[in-house]
Amino acid sequence: MNKTKNLLFLLTPFTLYITVFFLGPILILLTYSFLEPGLYGGVVWNFYHHNYGRILGWADGIIEEFNPVYFKIFLNSFKLALITVIITLVICYPTALWISRLKPKLKVFFLFLVTLPFFSSLVVRLFAWMILLKPSGLINEFLLNIRLIDEPLQMLFTETAVLIGLVYILVPFMFLPLYASIEKIDNSLIQASNDLGGNRLITFFKITLPLSFPGILGGSILVFIPSLGNFIVPDLLGGAKVMMIGNIIEQSFLTSRNWPFGACLAIILMIVVVTLLYFYVKILSKYEKII
Amino acid sequence: MLKVICSLVFLFVFPNTLKAEGKLNLYNWGDYINPAVLKKFTAETGIEINLDVYGSNEEMLAKLQGGATGYDIVFPSVHFHDILFKLGLLHETKINESPLFKNIDKDFIIAKTDPEGSWCLPYARGTVGIFYNKNIVPSLNSWEEFFAIPDKYNGKITMLDDPRETIGVGLIVNGNSVNSTDVSEVKEAAAFISKNLDNISAFSYDIISLLQSGDIAAAHWYVGGLYYVFEDPEGKLEYTVPKEGATMYQEDMCVLESAPNKENARKFMEFYLNPENPALNTAQQLNISANAPSRDLLADNLKNNPYINPPSEAYEKLQIFDDLGEDIKIYDREWTKVKAQ
Repeated sequence: MNKTKNLLFLLTPFTLYITVFFLGPILILLTYSFLEPGLYGGVVWNFYHHNYGRILGWADGIIEEFNPVYFKIFLNSFKLALITVIITLVICYPTALWISRLKPKLKVFFLFLVTLPFFSSLVVRLFAWMILLKPSGLINEFLLNIRLIDEPLQMLFTETAVLIGLVYILVPFMFLPLYASIEKIDNSLIQASNDLGGNRLITFFKITLPLSFPGILGGSILVFIPSLGNFIVPDLLGGAKVMMIGNIIEQSFLTSRNWPFGACLAIILMIVVVTLLYFYVKILSKYEKII
Repeated sequence: MLKVICSLVFLFVFPNTLKAEGKLNLYNWGDYINPAVLKKFTAETGIEINLDVYGSNEEMLAKLQGGATGYDIVFPSVHFHDILFKLGLLHETKINESPLFKNIDKDFIIAKTDPEGSWCLPYARGTVGIFYNKNIVPSLNSWEEFFAIPDKYNGKITMLDDPRETIGVGLIVNGNSVNSTDVSEVKEAAAFISKNLDNISAFSYDIISLLQSGDIAAAHWYVGGLYYVFEDPEGKLEYTVPKEGATMYQEDMCVLESAPNKENARKFMEFYLNPENPALNTAQQLNISANAPSRDLLADNLKNNPYINPPSEAYEKLQIFDDLGEDIKIYDREWTKVKAQ
């Protein structure tokens, strides 16, 4: 009895917080996505399914028009988010492996370095990237000076610039879960593999990689979701010519004053993300049963 | 972007306890009033001014609709002056009954919902033209030349990330009104922008430093950028209003119905009717003051600048945005299609 009381006491603040600040807004979003847009923003309290119709294809062409452009933007966002996941994984895995084998003092130092970018504002850092990437910027100047290229590369305002920005921002989110799972691996398992005649490659693929699987999945989700919804990077580094879902949600709420459509896009995005999370948990629990 | 994030945060934390003796809360566009004007007002009246800023009319409206209170004066563009009026967010100041109201250029009283100027005070206007770097493009007079820059000079061009401004350029080039609600005209204008999409490097507001370094040859931008033209020691930047025409914006100074300090807001309007004060503002803002006698008080280089003190025939080729009501969605949809190509 006392235990239940304690539990209730401990969980109440969290539950209240989640209900008010997480479930509340989502319910508002869900409701708005089925309402008619107000002329100057806001909503009119009439049931209106055309927001979804515009995206998913059943709009009648009279009140609202179906346009496959939104599919295209979703696909492009998924593509960019997926590439970001792959690049961050390739960058972070060897680094995490290396750091996990250092002396404890050095480990702490390098972990500190990984979190260092958080100490300055994101927008300031993105403007710095604009200066680095522009045709007369540092990177181009360096490449020109060592005669690797004859004329400046067009990096700024391209999809490449958006990818560079996304990878740069999200690297720590891949690194930390990866590191946590690699660091946890019991060294005696690796020694056992060596003793049984496994070379380094076999040891890596049979021991280290499978055991770090939860970290890979965790990091991937943590990178995938924020890249999917990002709108600052495509705006600044993509010159607003690269459209992601985040941009179109922002545009709906502000420029086009169509709150229900913005809400509808956000809900669809959320459904996709939750589906992905479901599979993530499923794969993870299946995998943990094997272990 | 930063402004959007800030305002979203502000939306939740802005305290509505700002009513106090001797305070005035302005909500204005970023960098859209000379800080010296605010200081002068405080020195003359003892009223302390808080300034909060926004990056677009839509952002300001969204915030007011979100329930933000505490602001006394906002500076909407004319078509948003009409929208704020229709939404019942404005307070009637009867500022036109002030003896100094005669200073206001009658051509600036253009809001459809406020034909007498009894609600808001016309503030300033400016053009949206082209800034270019003379090191790359020696001279530029038209939109046609602007879109030819990438092929002719191997330079880059940018346009504003704003559906009405940028599709508006397409409408102007095709000889149509920037307030067109004719679907085929708007589509044709959007197609014009699409056709040039490979040549447009970016849709962005944050390009001044790129223009100065020559990474961009020319940019579709606001006349307020004249500041950088005057500041540039090498004199390599230049501004032009293309001969096919351009859009013009005008902001009005409006008191909100929810304003906690209406009396002080009124005092600020009266203060701003005195030609000295708008002149002080123009000296830093480099746009067109609504206060006619204030333009005569400007230093010669500003008084003779056609973009700051334009001759009346200059207005023939300038168009100002109207509120399009529901038809705004034609622009919105076309804009998404242009950008998602």
